[in-house]
Parts: sequence; C-alpha cells; structure tokens
Amino acid sequence: MRRILLIAFAVAAPCITAAQAADPVVAKIIDTHILPRFETLAQSSGQLADAAATDCTPKSETLRAAYGRAFDAWVAVSHLRFGPTETNDRAFALAFWPDSRGVTPRTLASLITDQDPVIATPQEFSQVSIAGRGFYAMEFLLYDDTISTAGDAAYHCALVQAVATDIAATSAEILADWQGDYAARLLNPSPNGTYRSQEETVQELFKALTTGLEFTSDTRLGRPLGSFDKPRPTRAEVWRSGRSVRHVKISLESLENLMLLLVGDNADLAARSKHAFETTLSKLGILNDPVFAGVTDPQTRLKIEVVQQSVDAIRDIARQELGPELGVAAGFNALDGD
Amino acid sequence: MQANRRRFLGGMLAAGLIPKPTWADAGGPAYLAAAAKPDGSFALCGIGRALNITFEIPLPARGHAAAAHPTRPQAVAFARRPGRFAVVIDCVSGAVKAQLDAPQGRHFYGHGAFSQDGDWLFTTENDYEHGQGRIGVWDVSKGYTRVGEFHSGGVGPHDIKRLPGSDVLVVANGGIDTHPDSGRVKLNIATMQPNLTYLDQGQIIEVAQLPPEMHKNSIRHLAIGPRGQVAFGMQWQGDGQMSALIGQHRQSQPIQLIGADDDHARELGGYIGSIAYSRNGKMIAVTSPRGGVVHQYDANDLTLDQVFELQDVCGVAPQDRGFAITSGRGDIGGLGRDGPAFAQSDALRWDNHLVEV
Repeated sequence: MRRILLIAFAVAAPCITAAQAADPVVAKIIDTHILPRFETLAQSSGQLADAAATDCTPKSETLRAAYGRAFDAWVAVSHLRFGPTETNDRAFALAFWPDSRGVTPRTLASLITDQDPVIATPQEFSQVSIAGRGFYAMEFLLYDDTISTAGDAAYHCALVQAVATDIAATSAEILADWQGDYAARLLNPSPNGTYRSQEETVQELFKALTTGLEFTSDTRLGRPLGSFDKPRPTRAEVWRSGRSVRHVKISLESLENLMLLLVGDNADLAARSKHAFETTLSKLGILNDPVFAGVTDPQTRLKIEVVQQSVDAIRDIARQELGPELGVAAGFNALDGD
Repeated sequence: MQANRRRFLGGMLAAGLIPKPTWADAGGPAYLAAAAKPDGSFALCGIGRALNITFEIPLPARGHAAAAHPTRPQAVAFARRPGRFAVVIDCVSGAVKAQLDAPQGRHFYGHGAFSQDGDWLFTTENDYEHGQGRIGVWDVSKGYTRVGEFHSGGVGPHDIKRLPGSDVLVVANGGIDTHPDSGRVKLNIATMQPNLTYLDQGQIIEVAQLPPEMHKNSIRHLAIGPRGQVAFGMQWQGDGQMSALIGQHRQSQPIQLIGADDDHARELGGYIGSIAYSRNGKMIAVTSPRGGVVHQYDANDLTLDQVFELQDVCGVAPQDRGFAITSGRGDIGGLGRDGPAFAQSDALRWDNHLVEV
C-alpha cells in the first residue's frame, strides 16, 4: 500500500505514543464541567422519582419543582452527547425532542387509553418507545391540557411514576459509566483506546460545543421562529411548562463554561468569547417572554431573531477561531454534513 | 469567437437546419462541479478532461451535486439540503432553462438522475410531513414539469443513480428523518434504518440492508461500476468508531462491506463524502473531508490499496487513469498511476461532488 502526502506542511501528523501525559485542559473539563453536571443530573433525577412516588398528581408543586430541577440538570449536559449518553440510546430515552410528528403525545395517549401494563416494572417500561419516555414525555403528563388529565387517575399516576423512575435509572447509568471508566478513557488516550490521541479527545469536546450551539440556535430558537410569514410559537421547546427561554439560558451558560475551558489561556479569545456569551444572555434576559410567544409580533420577533444571531456569532468564533487554535478541521466540506 | 459560434448555432437551430446542441457545443466538459467563490457567490463549473475549467455559470445558492443530461448539454444543479429548488442550466449559453420547485410538502436532497433516453429526470425528495422518501419525476421535453412521484423505499433518500444500459434506479435511503421546522436536526437516529433500494418503473424490485448492529450507518453516496455493481459510502451516526463505511453490492447478492485496519478506518472520521469507481471498475476511491484523506480500495479483494492526504477533499470521479479529485480549498487534480498531480486555485472552493458528464 502506498501512502501519499500532498500538503505536508499543512498537516501536522499527531505523534502517537503509548502513554501521553494527560492534557490539563481535558482534565479540568472532566473534573469541573462534565462530572459535576452528570452528578447533579443523577441526583436530581433520583429526587424526581422520590417526589413522584410521594405525590404523583400533575399539579403537585413538589413534583413539578423536582421535575424542573432535574430537567434543568439535563439541559446543562444536553450538549455532552458522546460515550455514556449514547450507550443504549440513553440520551434519546431522556430527551426525545424535537418531535416534529407528535409521536410523544400519541405514544402517551395510547398507553393511557389501553391502560398498557408495560408500566408495571422498570424493565418492561424501558422497552417502551423512547418517544413515550423521558423529560419531554413527563412535560405532557404534568402540563398538557389533554394528557395531564387523560384516562384513569390511578393509571396516570403509575405512568408518571414509571417515567420518573426510568429517568432516574437512565441518569444513574450515565453517571456510573462516566465514573466507571469513561472519564479515564477520555483523559488518557491510548493507541487501542476509545480515543487514541489528545487531538481526538479535543475534537470530541469541540464537537460537543459546536453541536450544542447549533442545537440551541437552529432548534431551541429556530423552531418557534419558523419564518416571518409562518412563525411557530407552539413549536417552541417545552412551552407547556413555560420553560422555553430557560432552556436557552441554561444551555448557553453551560456552553460558555465549556468554551472558556477549551479556550484555555488565550486571554484575548477568552475575553471575546465571554463578551459574546454575556451579550447573548443579556439580550435573552430582556425578552420578558418565557415561551417565545412574541415570535408572532414583528417587534418582539426581531428581538428573538437578534438573540439567534447573537448565538450564531458565538458559533462563528468557535468555528473560525477556536477550531483552528485547537487544530480541529473546519473545512468547507468537512463541516457540510452531507 | 465563442459568442459568434453561439449566435451562429442559435440561428441555425431556429432555422431547423442542424441537430440539437450536444455536450461538444458546451466545450466538451468531462465533469461538472459546484463551487463557492471568494465574493461569497456560487457557481456551477464545467471541467475538461485536462481538468481545465470550460465554463462557469452563476448559481443562486450553495450547490450540492449536479446531474448531467445524457445527450443534451444541460445540467441540473441542486441546492444543498434541504433545498426547495434546482436549476436547469444550458451549458452552451449559460442560460437558466428551467427552475424546478419542490412541490408543497417536499424538499430536495441534492441529487438526481436522468432516464437512459434523457426524457425523464428523477430527484430524491423528502415528504417531510410523513417522514417518507420520495422520487420526484420530471418531464424533460415539457420544460422539466413535475409529472409524478413514487416511494423511494425508505427514509431520507440522498444519492440516486441509474444502472448502465437500463432504466433501473438505485437509491441510497440514508434512513435519517429530518423536518424543515428543525433545520438539519436528525429526528430518528435511535431507530433509523438505511437501505439500498432498486426501482424499475417506479416499483421496488430489491432492497438491500445492512446488518442490524449497523443501523446507524447512513448510506449516502453511490457509484456505479461498468457492470452495474454499486459501491456506496456511509456516514456513521452512532457513537465511537465504525470500521466499515464503504460497501459494495450487486443485485440479488448480499452486501459486501469494505473495511480497513483500525488506524485507517479511524482517519475517515466516520464520514465518506464522495465515492467513485475507476473506469474499469477495479478500484473504488472514497473521500473523507473530515479526515482529509482519500482511500483507494481494490474492488475485487476489498483491500485498501492507496491512501492520499488532502485537506477538505471531497469530490472524486474516474478519469482515464485513476481518479480526478477536488477539495474545498480549491485543489483540483488527479490521482493516477504516476502519482498525484494537483493545481490549486484561490478562486474556487469545490463543493461536495465532482460529477462525470
């Protein structure tokens, strides 16, 4: 086999050795960004299951508060989509959204109508379609006008408890894997490991940042914005529970933390990244419109569009400045995704 | 000179004195490729056998792939997914002959293929309210009007090609469900089921599937060998590494997967951008813009034969000896028996595909 290198000066081939010294940036990201957030998710999800066991009525303030805290914790890790979250499609089972075809309410309605006994044990329930599980399904059970009151009260209660228990179990599994050996795999790349080099681990973390920013811009903000002629307020994320703007805020705060850790000691880039996030969060803060209902009003809509443009400006910094600085490919075709 | 010739041809055509123009009248391009220009505009280019640019025609937006009419010098340039339009370009005059607008509830995926006689154009489309793949049918003689559609045999059809000497179409159903209300977000990764579907007269005649554990390997791009063999490039949507991103298939036979050793498999970054057979069908070349690498495999014993590094490489097509290759940095060149020979232009960043005319 022949190996030909055309642009030798442009490609710095990584030197892979058997044991690389752990990258301090990666170590800090694992210790201060990843692990604490998954610990919070596991803990608050466990509290959600406890709260549902105590009081499963959809209007219960205790239950709703526990649900809100656990969901907050999920949103703060929702960009960390690799390794333990992807095993057995755990992240999809926690967060099936966007649901462009309304599969979640359909799945829940049919469970309730059939009084499907699949909710009896956690094992059986874990075989239910991912659309009927997780935080977004729970939102329908607690806040949707139709589904929160549908069917037999005892069955509804058992379903709420089954979804909460399932969320807690999935979150605990993700944390167990991170603590088990995944953090070590990410920290210590090796020739036969999941990651072979520091370049690969940095690439994984950079991808988490850029796809997280993309999701918040295109989906959390883009879905309700729709088009000027066809704004779509009811396509906003979790509008039933009034949490739409809150999710944008939590995701941006978490992504800011990750981006600044990746920037490391480049003070100029750190300052500009920080400024870009602060600008975005302050524009979001003055909206005073928790569910992006204002997308239908030309003046408020403009303010929401400005928030989206502001997130896109952060994406540009990540792609055009941070990516090259980290040595991550960011070509015209490499980023295309087709 | 060229302008005079065009006027002359136009006059003769009007008088009905000579046959319709052919690809020779368009400067005889061997390939078509979409490109981005430094001023932010986009173009479709004709590329000659010597990899010289024979024409450059403006496009209204970023292109993806193009389909060349089998006889007439017409090319259909598709917008990038989820595009709602495609333009038919007269490659002699540079004029837009027709615009294809995706019907209500459909968008294009960026690929299309002509029937053997050139009378019909087939386009891969998304019926996004139902999450089903469709093949749109357009009547070329009526100025590319929409006349119908049929099921693609799966979800998220991407590339489509016609088998040589027949009207059997083969479709890469990538398996990924998307909806324009969520941009390019993938809605069904956990349950996606890609396949390779063969269609004749709008009827599914064969469906080839991957083993269940590879259901997150999206079949995206196709190459057709001289004897109707189909090579396909995949994009891994699961976590971690996928060793097999390339496959080969012949009708009525099982899929053959083409892998490489771990080091070489990893350098593809889980992502094949384009795929091509050599003219004799003995070699398969794949590009990975993410890995910045071209792999050339022996199509018979399915082994890796050659590796060639080029940043942001994507377009690949056969040439007389070996393969012609383009990159998003403006490189255009050949990878042949005598090794690589490339030129770089700052003026054009080549988009995903290099399409043979």
